Amino acid sequence: MDSATNRLIRYLFLSFLAIWLVFTIFPLYFQFITSLKPVAEINSMVPTFWPETMRPENYSGIFADPGSLKSLIDSLIVSIANTLLSLFLGTLAGYALARFIRGFAGENIAMWILSNRMFPPVAVIIPMFFLFDATPWGTDSYFSLITLYLVFNLPLATWLMMVFFRDAPRELEEAAYLDGFTPLQTFFKVTLPLVFPGMVSVAMLCWIFAWNEYLFANLMTGTTVKTFPVHIPSFTSGSQTLWNLVMAFSMVAMLPPVLLFIFLRRYMVRGLSLGVVKG
Amino acid sequence: MSLKAESVSPDWFKHKRADKNLIVNPVIPWLMIGFPVLILVAIVIYPTIWMGYHAFQNTNMMKLFYQDWEYIGWQNFATVLSDDRMWDSVGRLIQYLIFGACLEVLLGTILALTLFELVKSQLARVIILILLVLPMMLPPSIVATLWKFLLQAYNGAVNHLLIKIGILGPMERIEWLDAGLSLWSLTMVDVWQWTALPLLIVYSGRVSLPPAIYEAAKVDGASQFMVLRRLTLPLLKEIIAIAFIIRFMDAYKFVDKVYVMTSGGPAQSSELPVFIAFQKGIREVEIGEAAAYAWIIFAVAMVLITLFLKYLKKVLKAQTFA
Repeated sequence: MDSATNRLIRYLFLSFLAIWLVFTIFPLYFQFITSLKPVAEINSMVPTFWPETMRPENYSGIFADPGSLKSLIDSLIVSIANTLLSLFLGTLAGYALARFIRGFAGENIAMWILSNRMFPPVAVIIPMFFLFDATPWGTDSYFSLITLYLVFNLPLATWLMMVFFRDAPRELEEAAYLDGFTPLQTFFKVTLPLVFPGMVSVAMLCWIFAWNEYLFANLMTGTTVKTFPVHIPSFTSGSQTLWNLVMAFSMVAMLPPVLLFIFLRRYMVRGLSLGVVKG
Repeated sequence: MSLKAESVSPDWFKHKRADKNLIVNPVIPWLMIGFPVLILVAIVIYPTIWMGYHAFQNTNMMKLFYQDWEYIGWQNFATVLSDDRMWDSVGRLIQYLIFGACLEVLLGTILALTLFELVKSQLARVIILILLVLPMMLPPSIVATLWKFLLQAYNGAVNHLLIKIGILGPMERIEWLDAGLSLWSLTMVDVWQWTALPLLIVYSGRVSLPPAIYEAAKVDGASQFMVLRRLTLPLLKEIIAIAFIIRFMDAYKFVDKVYVMTSGGPAQSSELPVFIAFQKGIREVEIGEAAAYAWIIFAVAMVLITLFLKYLKKVLKAQTFA
């Protein structure tokens, strides 16, 4: 290949990258400017690509609205509780699978646990709806969401913790035992510090998945407990949607996962690839 | 941890067992794994069996309430399999898997390698990577709401942007969410959000390849195209495959954006099998039929997942040997 064609190909690929960048950024940019517009400007026949009148009150409106605030708090409660539970159970099971239950049984249990994450939740939700309906808390409760989010977060946490524990050198634990540490001491003083970065990444991923979840929340809850994705339709009354508030609310709700990703992305790659990419 | 390493290094666990002096009571690991397994049995296996039972009953809302459903054999499966609504949705699912999942992996790989090989500045690379991967972290419900807003026919931003560029005339409008285009629009939104995942995985995989082999290729005078074909792509093959598997399984159960953007409509034009199963079960409360739907979806998923997990295990094992 001569250098002219070579350069042409490079420019082609680079311009594709540039186009894709614009395609990725434009909706987010438009969401941001819409969150600053007054309703009248949004409903005009021709949309403006920069707000003619700035209306930052949209944001203070979100924080003044008790419904919106409550939905964010509900989301926080559900996602944090679910993350802690997934992390705790996942660490237990992951350690057992990485160190004690090996061979045929261990591998099949691990694969079965991970397979739960990939199954379509359609077979789960209908029976669970009737099951939770029969409990004293009902379907519309923190308990039901925190439990149901385990369907996807517990397998992820278990699998990833297993991968991280397997990476932690066994020889260090061995040395600790020889020095007279009890199993618990070894676990807390030697093993846990080794896998701590891994635990952080598992926690972040589980939290983001629980925070973003829409399907279970939409079908199970909506009155007593209302996470933020379920709250978004309430900005619509009749045929009128207050898009400025929807966008301002969305900006607020998506900020935490975005910030987490920007600062901790290095830790997340491993988890997102189910442990394959070392990152 | 590899099998090889185990057989070479002394195994303290076995050694202690031989001395009848166990470090850990053998029951404890099974307790550690027992809690999570029990929970998963309760929230995944039990519901699946429940659905398996009702797939053979004529259960609906009233019958469930009075508990007087009865056994009707394979009738629910027959109803589902002879339903055009189901087969149409299978066609849509295949279209969506090809233009959604496959396209995402292809685009993600191209973008990741372009970014790594052709953007020279380290800072620019990191910034572009973060911007490109952002959509993936956003809640799907917000993404769907945002795009529904952008794709409005009369004063939507996308149509007006196309007018500004000159692709559409000032009075022309594309009805993005009508029956002809709704599934394509959904696919586009999904590609917008999830191309980021293969991109991030492949990019990180490329970063972790040892620079030494590239030095060697350079010394041998290989062209950049040759290096890409003979070195980079073969080395990233498995990582790309894993990215594809993860996307494929997520796409298979894709339903949240359908709910927010189109609710399956207009005129059932964007219904996917999983969505129909939900509608049958939750809105129409035809439990028996929904259960048959769910079990067909479940059985197909089971085959795919078994194959995929075998591959994943192989890749992880090969890594520890490398």
